[in-house]
Amino acid sequence: MMMKRTVMVILSLVLCISLLSGCGGNQAVSDTGQTASSEQANKGAQAPVSGEPDKEQYLNTYISADPTSFDVSLRSDSYSSTMIINTMEGLIRTIEVDGEYVTSPGDAQTWESTEDGLVWTFHLGDNKWTDGEAVTADQYVYSLKRSADPAVGCPNGWFLSPVLNYEAISNGEMSVDELGVKALDEKTLQITLSAVTPAFLKMCDATIYYPQRQDKVEAFGEKYGSDVQYIISNGPFYLDSWTRNSALVLKKNPNYWDKDSVKLETINFAVMSETSTITSAYESGEIDEVSVAYQEWVDKFTAREDSKYQKTVNNSILFSFYNTKDALFQNANIRKAFTLAIDREDANIMCYSGLRLPTYGWVVPTISVGDTNFREKAGDPIKEMIDDLKAEGKTPKDLLLEGMKELGLGDDPSTLNVTFSLGGTTEWFKTLGDYLQQTYKAEMGLDVNITFNDWSLFYNNVETGNYQMGYMSWGAYYDDPYDVLSIFKSEYDQVSTGWANAEYDELIDNAGIELDADKRLQYYMDAEKILIKEACVVSPMQTSTTNGFFRKFVYGFNTLGFSNAGYKYVYTSGRK
Amino acid sequence: MSKYILKRVLYMFLTLFIVTTLTFFLMRSIPGDPLASMAQALPDQIRANFLAKYGLDKPLFEQYLLYLKGLIHLDLGDSVVYAGRSVSETIRTTSPVSGFVGGIALFIGVGIGSLLGIVAALNKNKWPDFLVIFIAVLGVSVPAFVLAALLQMIFAARLGLLPSSGWGGAKYCILPIVVLCLGPIASYARYVKSSMLDTLDQDYIMTARAKGMSESRVIRKHVLRNSMLPAVTLFGGSVVGVFTGSFVIEKMFSIPGIGFYYINSINNNDYTMILGTTIFYATLFVVMQLIVDCVYVVIDPRIRITGEKI
Repeated sequence: MMMKRTVMVILSLVLCISLLSGCGGNQAVSDTGQTASSEQANKGAQAPVSGEPDKEQYLNTYISADPTSFDVSLRSDSYSSTMIINTMEGLIRTIEVDGEYVTSPGDAQTWESTEDGLVWTFHLGDNKWTDGEAVTADQYVYSLKRSADPAVGCPNGWFLSPVLNYEAISNGEMSVDELGVKALDEKTLQITLSAVTPAFLKMCDATIYYPQRQDKVEAFGEKYGSDVQYIISNGPFYLDSWTRNSALVLKKNPNYWDKDSVKLETINFAVMSETSTITSAYESGEIDEVSVAYQEWVDKFTAREDSKYQKTVNNSILFSFYNTKDALFQNANIRKAFTLAIDREDANIMCYSGLRLPTYGWVVPTISVGDTNFREKAGDPIKEMIDDLKAEGKTPKDLLLEGMKELGLGDDPSTLNVTFSLGGTTEWFKTLGDYLQQTYKAEMGLDVNITFNDWSLFYNNVETGNYQMGYMSWGAYYDDPYDVLSIFKSEYDQVSTGWANAEYDELIDNAGIELDADKRLQYYMDAEKILIKEACVVSPMQTSTTNGFFRKFVYGFNTLGFSNAGYKYVYTSGRK
Repeated sequence: MSKYILKRVLYMFLTLFIVTTLTFFLMRSIPGDPLASMAQALPDQIRANFLAKYGLDKPLFEQYLLYLKGLIHLDLGDSVVYAGRSVSETIRTTSPVSGFVGGIALFIGVGIGSLLGIVAALNKNKWPDFLVIFIAVLGVSVPAFVLAALLQMIFAARLGLLPSSGWGGAKYCILPIVVLCLGPIASYARYVKSSMLDTLDQDYIMTARAKGMSESRVIRKHVLRNSMLPAVTLFGGSVVGVFTGSFVIEKMFSIPGIGFYYINSINNNDYTMILGTTIFYATLFVVMQLIVDCVYVVIDPRIRITGEKI
């Protein structure tokens, strides 16, 4: 059975480096664009209510790298996602009202699904493209088929997995015309799923579900989406100019259906990646928002009278993971020993200047099931493990010794040969390496070798199982634990731990088609318990955060991890 | 002379062919592919579809032949990472920007550097000499990004006189040019100084002085011209460097130049971009070498490149 193979998470290289290293960590986006560069920083205070909006509405901000493309079928990086969620409109838009998520209408004004949850019907409103053409259901059909077509080579295509026949089309076994998407009439779109997908509506917010114009794609050919004159928009803003690797300017789209909600007339993005450049630009007033990754900058900007501070928890987790096919790490007790030997509070202070959120479970704290926050309900498995261990009067070293005994390796940890692989070569990775080395030595009397490689080499080693333990980050795409838990299903094994557990697989499968939120939550909690407490194949460490500063006159930005409003509701009041 | 140039041009093509071939196979031996850098984990089918789109699923040697075929028609292909961006167009639009900023910086740097070198040579072991040595050491040892960050902090963040980064007018160019010209100032000052000292020791200078020629005439007529040879050697390389941009400076000042593509294409495994920028660099380099060799003949009558009698 072909289940939706949702859930692998694209983390751009940049994302990995910036999140891991904690420098310039203002970029963390995924396909739904739920968190995005500076607009992730945007997840700042919606309150307090401001005075009159300024007459002249503009915002100066930055983005850490040039977007690859505005083509929704070919884009792959977080930066293009940041741009596209502002220049395009999808069926729906996840926004926030008073700190709560709201699924608001986009191109689709209303929608409904059949009782079995397999067929979704979207009724489109009167949105128009920048050239005045109406948005139609056919454009959605064309766009989804284009992304599913193997010949197009869409890097995010798997996000269409819930749609009927996507897998077969992607494998080239079926014609793209068989995709479960249909225009019932000009304004009615019908999407048929291959299996019940509780999170489908949330997934519809992903950029890959945005419409495309067949006439433009064909007219522009290879150039489509690559420059201002080859881009057409139906969103709150459109791209007005693009100086590669230097600046992008967005202007308000006068044809946008909800243009009255859009206040900003102009958004100026400078492409800036160096911390020193970005902080200088914020200090000099060239940009109106900034996000920083070091405590010294937090202190410095907190002291500024013209700024407000917003710390936001993101959807990316930093973790170490074990190769369960390794001679040593095949043993669960040894994996547990390495997991519990790390003091997450301490690591946060030593390696992230205290700016990350120490995390004790695999599902990041931002994720909920229905209306229930997962972490609040599921508790902190690793904390419980530490407490249990203490209650038994044991230490991580005892666990290690038990494991060694089971493997017949004697009782001297210093004889073990353990290599910890890191996917970066910067100064920060050296700090992390030193920290891990010292901690394992102090806690378990073990000499761990640390290897530093560039990301592509590191990841190649991980994929081919040529490692013992590694460290990386993983970002959630949408607000459901399925997104982050299904990657450990034996058939996907996205983290390349080599771990397989039939019980776990079954729990995830059951959860994937369970429409009742409480039951689903229980499946996920049971699954996470196996993953962390029993098997301990990963060791969650920290959740990334954004430390954003905004000029006091900036209002209306997002404050939640999965908000997808971009700059739609941002405005200034009191800019001098 | 023309025969010599023809021969050199033929060698140039041979060099470029070797560079292309080596680059092609070396870069393909790097682990990973363009998708590895943009994505963490993708289903095999998605990966296969993507690679097929860019012809990366074909046997390596066939890809190589296809690339050479395109190259003969001057087609460098499209970027694998940046959908729809042609490599030739990227080089065409970004290298002039790098050339503009770098060219001005080089011009200023060579001018000031040579001048400082001359001053230092003529005042050997006096305070102007020490000052020049100090500037030269500073220029060589202070990393550009440190200076750039310092200038940004002072002139943008503190004083608010200049924008910290960006592109679109004279005020945006000032800081990057200041940073970029420090290197040439330092290296040219050192080269010109040592070369001048060398020339001053020559017998023909003594002869000129013995003839009763005024000191300023000796310097202008005999010393300067003969001291310029090493600077010319250096200049060829500098010009190539200008058009290929400075990754660090362009990144720090958000300058839409070509430096970004040199470094990032390698990190991203953007195969066509790596090849395109490398071929561009190599071409510029060999052409400049030829020009430099020809310039030698003009400025130094002692040099004969073909051995023919004039």
